Amino acid sequence: MKKKKSAGRFFTSGYLILVLLFIYLPIVYVMVFSFNESRSMTAFTGFSFQWYESMVNNREMLESIKYTVIIAVVATVVSTVIGTVAAIGLSKARRIIRSIVLEVNNLPVLNPDIVTAISLMLLFLSMKIQRSIVTLTLAHITFCIPYVILSVMPKLRQLDDNVAEAAMDLGATPWKALTKVIIPQIYPAILSGALIAFSMSFDDFVISFFTAGMDVQNISMYVYSMKRFNPSVNALSTVIVIVVTVILVLANLIPHLKDKRMKKEEQY
Amino acid sequence: MRKLIEFKNIVKSFDGQVVLKGVNLNIYENEFVTLLGPSGCGKTTLLRILGGFLEQDEGTVIFDGKCIDNVPPYRREINTVFQRYALFPHLNVYENIAFGLRIKKTGEDIIRQKVQRMLSLVNLEGYEKRNVTKLSGGQQQRVAIARALVNEPNVLLLDEPLGALDLKLRKEMQRELKRIQQEVGITFIFVTHDQEEALTMSDKIVVMREGEIVQIGTPLEIYNEPVNAYVARFIGESNIVDGTMPADYKVRFDEKNFECRDFGFRPDEPVDVLIRPEDIDIVKPRDGVLRGTVKSVIFKGIHYELMVETQTGTSKTVHMNVVTQHDLTNQAAGEKISANDFYVDLEDLENREMTDKDFISIANAQAWDEEGRDISLTKVSHNIENRTGVYSITFGTEKKTEVTVKVYVIHPEYVEDDRHNIGITALDFFITPDEIQESMAISTDLKTWASAEAWNLQDDSSIEITDVKFDFNPAEVTEGSYEITFSTRGREYKVETTSTHEVGDRIGLDFGPDDIHVMHKEVVDA
Amino acid sequence: MKSFVRMSYPYILWIAVFIVAPMIMILLYALTRTGNGTLTFQFTLENFSRFFSDPDFLRVLWTSLRIALITTVFCILIGYPAALFIANLPEKRQTLMILLLTLPMWINMLLKTYAWRGILMNFDLESEAKVFIGMVYDFLPYMVIQIHTAISKLDRDLLVASYDLGANRWQSFLKVTLPLSVPGIISGITLVFLPAVSSFVIPKLLGGGNYVLIGNLIEKYFLVAGDWNFGSAISLIMALIIIASMYLTKKIDRNAEED
Repeated sequence: MKKKKSAGRFFTSGYLILVLLFIYLPIVYVMVFSFNESRSMTAFTGFSFQWYESMVNNREMLESIKYTVIIAVVATVVSTVIGTVAAIGLSKARRIIRSIVLEVNNLPVLNPDIVTAISLMLLFLSMKIQRSIVTLTLAHITFCIPYVILSVMPKLRQLDDNVAEAAMDLGATPWKALTKVIIPQIYPAILSGALIAFSMSFDDFVISFFTAGMDVQNISMYVYSMKRFNPSVNALSTVIVIVVTVILVLANLIPHLKDKRMKKEEQY
Repeated sequence: MRKLIEFKNIVKSFDGQVVLKGVNLNIYENEFVTLLGPSGCGKTTLLRILGGFLEQDEGTVIFDGKCIDNVPPYRREINTVFQRYALFPHLNVYENIAFGLRIKKTGEDIIRQKVQRMLSLVNLEGYEKRNVTKLSGGQQQRVAIARALVNEPNVLLLDEPLGALDLKLRKEMQRELKRIQQEVGITFIFVTHDQEEALTMSDKIVVMREGEIVQIGTPLEIYNEPVNAYVARFIGESNIVDGTMPADYKVRFDEKNFECRDFGFRPDEPVDVLIRPEDIDIVKPRDGVLRGTVKSVIFKGIHYELMVETQTGTSKTVHMNVVTQHDLTNQAAGEKISANDFYVDLEDLENREMTDKDFISIANAQAWDEEGRDISLTKVSHNIENRTGVYSITFGTEKKTEVTVKVYVIHPEYVEDDRHNIGITALDFFITPDEIQESMAISTDLKTWASAEAWNLQDDSSIEITDVKFDFNPAEVTEGSYEITFSTRGREYKVETTSTHEVGDRIGLDFGPDDIHVMHKEVVDA
Repeated sequence: MKSFVRMSYPYILWIAVFIVAPMIMILLYALTRTGNGTLTFQFTLENFSRFFSDPDFLRVLWTSLRIALITTVFCILIGYPAALFIANLPEKRQTLMILLLTLPMWINMLLKTYAWRGILMNFDLESEAKVFIGMVYDFLPYMVIQIHTAISKLDRDLLVASYDLGANRWQSFLKVTLPLSVPGIISGITLVFLPAVSSFVIPKLLGGGNYVLIGNLIEKYFLVAGDWNFGSAISLIMALIIIASMYLTKKIDRNAEED
């Protein structure tokens, strides 16, 4: 198509820039004020690292960070394994079983998180199980697995059945066919499922709120329960933004660099 | 007839690749024009430039006397039928067809009238409310045509519209399209790579190749008088032979002079000679202008397609010496070993580094244990020098199971055919009956065993050895010496005939001056 | 291959314990008489009637629905043009834009909401407006991505055909792109409206004390009042509303397809 008239292009770029500004406003604002000398969130009085220092010295905040990360990692690993295994099993199951299981699987996704949270809390409380980091982790695993399955199942369905059968025709055992044929093919879906699971767990508030015990807090819970506004939160936010940005940039650059290197190799 | 469209010097590149190299073309009112060529020749690009979906880098497009370079597609009086139809999935048949009319804010009753007329033109009456995604390929095709035509454009562009249809439907649609074009009376510009389609429907064919127009003409002109071998091969079946033009109306090929109708060539200019398979008659050998042997017969339904060899290829005959296998047994180690004597071409020895592996392979040296499992040969020692003569070579295993055989280093005679520029060589060889019986493709294996090769004397390129003649039954061969003859293809003609023949028949080929068409050789781009 | 089926058994067990059983719990608590934390097994519908008979509760329900609805509408109004413009960018820019848009999704929702609290302190706005800004901010990326996916999946040839038939860019958008992008809008609505109905964090943090939504109600009855039965009933009501609206949107989608 012929190029849009420059007026049109100006309008669309302008709009997108506005949207991006909106999206990044709180992020940039917070990063700026994390270096603020005073407690104010409205007036920038001077440059200072004090909130970063105070963040490092804030035991409660550090603990919440620690718990958030540990729970996210554990929940991701466990849910990815269970979810992938389940997806593979389900893809070979009879249609009835598969539909039922997938419908139930969707409940934590479709239900408002407060309903999932309450239901789990009721489970633990009526079974007289003390809420603790264990129950919290179990809850996280429960709501992460569906996302792994949702990510892996479509890829599994796309797989050519014949490939695994060909492998077995050539002498591979079912286990080998699984590890050397099926899993390498669905690997990207497993990875993206794991990533979604991690971000769901890291970000979670409502479910954690209802299923954690007295002794555990994750970052979201900590922020929610702050009595007075503590500007170290800005420092925390800034750190998280930087970490996330670095990870995403790397995640996108590495495949790009790999492609470049492969293209170079192909030329020889 | 009025000139409707003029392409003046159209140049277009994509990503550094020049797709149209300065195309000049005139298209007239009421014509069915086909742009014909292989993928990538630029035909679709030219079409899209006309439709307004691509901008050319250089040149202008003139429509009805006016330059339309800056007119956007929605204001050109041209409509397109797309390759994949591009029907609107959210609209039914009626609404799809009415789309263009609604844009022009035509009144409801006029729309109804025109859509109905279109539906009967394409034979889809009654389909108004149908869901377009549920129609068959042919039906979708017709909706696409109706949708375009209802807007009464001056020109209809069709971009390989029949590609997705099966053969029968395609032929039916070809007739339909021609009928519609004649009934509606507008110019159709049709793009395809299918030469039969072009021949069937067009008033004028434009043959394109790599961004340039090679020939423009009626189907008859293109078929009977292609301008060069490319066009000749693209349309219809052909026999194209190298020849020269000693004088006007006289062409020389296959060492004979023939009368022909072409003129205007330089004296003795090298030319391509075209004779269509259907123009060659089969007669008794002494009545034909050429004589040959039938090499293959293929039944094509309408006729048989014969390949007739009028000149044999270059050949070389060698001897196959069948000897009985003598396995040597090493009782103590429980191993057996065997190998054959073999010949080696002195030139191979000098030019190619022959490794132990090569020798093992040529001698078919093997060792195996009591269970028949292969044992590797760790020792290969010989006294072979770079001179003709008889030498010996010993193969052995780790457990010292050994066999010694003779190596004949020879300087085989090459056969060099200067007239056809072909060289061919092969070596005598030794072989056991077992190896012959185990062979799954005897002709191929014979070539390998004899190291048979053929090449072009001028540029050393490899030529296929198509013929392997031998006179023994591979299943029952006994010791002795047998002749094997390897030959290249030679000159073959494709002939279409309704009479039956068998492979090996000796026949005559006959054709007249009208059947010969002489073409300039193409200039080969460096 | 049959042996692979057995791989799903561990998970089936898991969902029985952690998904099915809890849901049954909610059901049981909602349908039984208040036992102050213990299950009484005296079945009754009084928890539901208590909810529907009290105008205060109904007002809370209505507020939640209203806020969710308006949030969704704003997400569509702002998000659709964004998705459309992104879909028309060259491919590399598109990936970049989507990346930029989704990066904030990785940052903790509470941190972002707190940031807005700080920013909005500079402005004198109605607390309802502040709540909307926070809600739209949180849900916008989901809507944009859903619509963008739908638009980029459209066959390019359709637009070309539309131009060929005489429609200019605006007409082609209205008659071709927009109707065919509706499935994207619908899945965007699913991802925005439904969670928005149940959200209580953003309204609480940005709206001051003024906003009691369904989520806050549930929180209060469970954690403050200890009335699990009533709390469960409210949760169930909300879940049912959500399931109902989902089926409705699925039906609209399917009807549109069948036309």
